Amino acid sequence: MENLLDISFIIESFPTILSRLPITIGIAVGSMVISLFIGLATALIKIYKVPVLSVITSIYVSFIRGTPLLVQIYLVFYGIPKVIYYLQIEYGVLLSADVNSISPEMYALMAFSINLGAYLSETIRSAIESVDRGQFEAAKAIGMSPVQMMTKIIFPQALTVAIPNLGNMFISTIKDTSLVFIIGVVDVMGQAKILGSRGLAFFEVYIAVSIVYWILCIVVERLLVRLEKRARRYERGIA
Amino acid sequence: MIKLENIHKYYDSQHVLKGIDLNIHEGEVVSILGPSGSGKSTLLRCINFLEQPTSGTVELDSKKVNAESAGKSEVLALRTATGMVFQQYNLFKNLTVLQNVMVGLTSVKQLKKEQAKETSLEILEKVGLSNRLDHYPAQLSGGQQQRVGIARAMALNPKVLLFDEPTSSLDPELVDGVLATIKSVAEEGKTMLIVTHELQFAREISDRVVFMEDGLIVEEGMPDQMFNYAKMERTNQFLKRSKRSEE
Ligand SMILES: Nc1ncnc2c1ncn2[C@@H]1O[C@H](COP(=O)(O)OP(=O)(O)O)[C@@H](O)[C@H]1O
Ligand SMILES: [Mg+2]
Repeated sequence: MENLLDISFIIESFPTILSRLPITIGIAVGSMVISLFIGLATALIKIYKVPVLSVITSIYVSFIRGTPLLVQIYLVFYGIPKVIYYLQIEYGVLLSADVNSISPEMYALMAFSINLGAYLSETIRSAIESVDRGQFEAAKAIGMSPVQMMTKIIFPQALTVAIPNLGNMFISTIKDTSLVFIIGVVDVMGQAKILGSRGLAFFEVYIAVSIVYWILCIVVERLLVRLEKRARRYERGIA
Repeated sequence: MIKLENIHKYYDSQHVLKGIDLNIHEGEVVSILGPSGSGKSTLLRCINFLEQPTSGTVELDSKKVNAESAGKSEVLALRTATGMVFQQYNLFKNLTVLQNVMVGLTSVKQLKKEQAKETSLEILEKVGLSNRLDHYPAQLSGGQQQRVGIARAMALNPKVLLFDEPTSSLDPELVDGVLATIKSVAEEGKTMLIVTHELQFAREISDRVVFMEDGLIVEEGMPDQMFNYAKMERTNQFLKRSKRSEE
């Protein structure tokens, strides 16, 4: 009798695939955190129209949006070691960096941070611009410095506005990390590929891995709903 | 104590303040009246440099700041020495009542938390909001929000309080509570500059009334004198019209 699926193979492959979940989550969370800083910095550069930097920011955002993520991952993976090597030879800088010791996971983290940073830049900029002007004025009027005003008043409100968008991007990023096997990272997807070719059961492992991603995204979505509720608690009117 | 000299403000080519001179003594309460668009808000905002005057000088406590050459530290000094109360309250939406009042003390004055809290609680007691400390602005009525706004402005113990139509956004039944709060602050001897359309209130609270029109101070005087026999026909018309709409 011909079986459509080898169910037991699916079940048996879960533990091995799940053992790589920390890599997937690590890249997604790590790049989200780093890109928040990139997004904030570039958003402020645009808002304050910092000369030169704001042109560079525009080019960066436009380039990232206009090229495939896959290509960006390759650019980082092949480009960064070359650039570092070149700088070492030609200018004698970054000598302590050992190109060979940079792990594929690190390249993946860099590529995703750079990619996500560009998308967050726009989201954060519009969120900051959506904060009522009166909030800026009140902060200035009591003598807050721009940094105090931003960190204590504006960012918290802007991030609250941005949470739904940031959440969607985070979920996309989790799924996009499935590309990192192409530079040799053994994440959830990479592990599935290995298992699949070992047992010649690709359909089974891809079913298993899709279930893993699916459940992960459902859990994250739940958490995001809670986070948003928490962040928005100050917006609730008179009970 | 505050001395404005020849303040001019342009928005692009629009000449909004056309040479304002104003002198306010310590403990004095001065009301600014005048039709909408005459530049009252702009004048207040030029004092703490929320708008940078195009030219002129702002002198506070004998420290003179020239609009054209004002540096960051001078502007900061002006802002901490003045407290502003906004028409739209502008409370920090992400902070509780207590935090709204405390935040200037902890971040700008860099006081210890306990000390800032103690001061803030005292001030909130004065404006009658001790029972709303952990509420967020969205959970308060307009009148309560504005009283928090007054408390926040007072927290840094400024030399002068600037009020920009503090009751204009309020439902009529909430106006009196806020006016009473302002009055009680005035009675403590705070120096105040108040833009308002509440004529009766201005008359009661002010030591002096200033009438603005079209970017200029056109008349000023003691409240009774202004309300009964303003010299300028224009002032009289304005007062009459406002009185009628108040009734
Ligand atoms: N930020 C601004 N940009 C351009 N024009 C402004 C700005 N603020 C005020 N104005 C103009 O300046 C004039 C005076 O405004 P304002 O000071 O608000 O008057 P008032 O408070 O007496 O009603 C008005 O004509 C107004 O349109
Ligand atoms: Mg106004």
